[in-house]
Amino acid sequence: MPAELFDSAACALAVTGEDGTILKANARFGDWLGFSIAELCTRRFQDLLTMGGRIFHQTHLAPMLRMHGSVTEVKLDILHRDGHKVTVLLNGNKRQQADEMVYDLALFGTTDRDKYERELLNARNLAEALLQEKTSTELALQNAQAELKQAYAFSQRRAVFAEQMMAIVSHDLKNPLTAIRMASDFLSRNERTVKERQLLGHIGQSSERAQRMIADLLDFTQARVGHGIVIKAAPLDLHNVIHRAVDELRVAFPKATLVHCTEGAGETCLDADRVQQIIGNLVANSVAYGDLQQPITITSRLDNGAGAVSVHNHGAPIPQALLAGLFEPMTRGTDQGSDVRSVGLGLYIVRELAKVHGGDVTVSSCATAGTTFTVTFQNT
Amino acid sequence: MDLRHRNNVNVMGNGTSTLVFSHGFGCNQAMWNDLAPPFLEHFRVVLYDLVGAGLSDLSAFDKTKYGTLDGYARDLNEIIDAYAEGPVILVGHSVSAMIGTLADRLAPGRIAAHVMIGPSPRYIDTDGYVGGFKRSDIDELLETLDSNYLGWSSAMAPVIMGAPGQPALSDTLTDSFCRTEPDIAKHFARVTFTSDNRQDVIGLATPVLILQSSDDLIAPVAVGKYLHSVMPNSTYCLVDNVGHCPHMSAPQACAAAMQGFLAPWTATRAG
Repeated sequence: MPAELFDSAACALAVTGEDGTILKANARFGDWLGFSIAELCTRRFQDLLTMGGRIFHQTHLAPMLRMHGSVTEVKLDILHRDGHKVTVLLNGNKRQQADEMVYDLALFGTTDRDKYERELLNARNLAEALLQEKTSTELALQNAQAELKQAYAFSQRRAVFAEQMMAIVSHDLKNPLTAIRMASDFLSRNERTVKERQLLGHIGQSSERAQRMIADLLDFTQARVGHGIVIKAAPLDLHNVIHRAVDELRVAFPKATLVHCTEGAGETCLDADRVQQIIGNLVANSVAYGDLQQPITITSRLDNGAGAVSVHNHGAPIPQALLAGLFEPMTRGTDQGSDVRSVGLGLYIVRELAKVHGGDVTVSSCATAGTTFTVTFQNT
Repeated sequence: MDLRHRNNVNVMGNGTSTLVFSHGFGCNQAMWNDLAPPFLEHFRVVLYDLVGAGLSDLSAFDKTKYGTLDGYARDLNEIIDAYAEGPVILVGHSVSAMIGTLADRLAPGRIAAHVMIGPSPRYIDTDGYVGGFKRSDIDELLETLDSNYLGWSSAMAPVIMGAPGQPALSDTLTDSFCRTEPDIAKHFARVTFTSDNRQDVIGLATPVLILQSSDDLIAPVAVGKYLHSVMPNSTYCLVDNVGHCPHMSAPQACAAAMQGFLAPWTATRAG
């Protein structure tokens, strides 16, 4: 090769010995790295590389050149005399020369392409990291969903078990309670001291209250786990039924003033006992939470065969936050009066009873107008 | 598990003792092509590829198992149990010298002697110990690996070579020489160059021949001397060689040193 062509080639060229010592280099090589050719020829090719490049040379390049006799397109960082990196692509070839082995090296500058490739690499690494993140997030989500499903199934089983147990226990409590009432009735027939009458009165009231609670619980369990509450509807005079119910309630709640109003007239088809139960629950509720200094008004309304009953009381309104869930089981307006009420099933049962009559219950409550519960019955 | 498939095990030679050759980082068992042949006459010779390298089963590569050199050491012991006969001498290059040490520690007495070529128990300088590298050098190596694997999809064989005019060298093993799946190469580089096996070599009583190149960037002379000073039954042999692969660039000198060291175990199998 003419010397001029070698020196002015558009790439850096060098010939090294087996151990990497540079035997010959072109002017371009020297220019790129800031060394004179004489200076290059005292060095070994691998010593011009960055440390990372040197390790790569020792573990990959050198064995490769020896075994295959050539390498192509190896990207390396070479250090310029002043310390900055020059990125090159290296092609190398092994050649037998006289009795020794030499390596012909050609280096192409690739600094800008290298920048682009690094950007590609970074983008790929980022994409891989994001993919991994996505995969692990999805996995975590799947696990969470599986756990949630498991927890839900578990709580379902627990709830069904608890309701079944409640049904059994409420049913079984009825018999001993009946025995207590019969025995106390029997005792009160004979001559008793004042103290004894007082005590028998307590027994009677308490067992009546317990019976009401059990009745509520049985209705609740029947609505939840049984076949629903069953009614026996028959044509009746709603005003009359409510009138009798209010009379009885006056005895039960002597401290309250109960007023009965009627609107309209006619007959409607309802289960009288259940209507009484509805009024009983609503009035008990008003007594527990309303202002007893002012009357509680029970209004029975008849309009073209459709019946409705509302119970109104004055006093502090039901907090807005409680209104939405008021008819759910185990809900109480406030803790006040908890010894008067039962287990928080009263309003739930009112709604269930209204529903089996084809109707519903609504509530409105504010500080000025007081609280009104209205039960509607469809004409069945 | 099929070890032969997993590690591309090749058994040859004839002798009452077994030489197991274990290659280093970057290449595969083809690097023994010049050193192994002289021993075939008097030894049973076992060659294999580390999982992830050469023609090993890449599907067996598991980042957790091979997250430390122990995983490779357990593989080596399995290969010894399956293919070695009689006393076992492990010839380990570079990182494989440490894999051999760990295998020895895991199953004491199974390996009768070690030939360590360019060994180093610790590449990064640490508290007074000189391994020759800084942490940033290793990061630079990983970067170089990265930029040279650019554009290599798993479907396209990585090529840092291209012996177009050398059809004679085109058999599969030499073809796959220095080809490693990019992810595996980086993983192995990190495991290799960040390992610290000083506590494993200190006091190792098995006979050891240290073949130290006179000029080796990866395993400098000072490291070879350090190893000689901490292994009580070691023999230190300086080989006049530039580079990290004296078994490739100076195979005769290496073989000569090994023949002396291996004399006690040298015998052709009768019949």
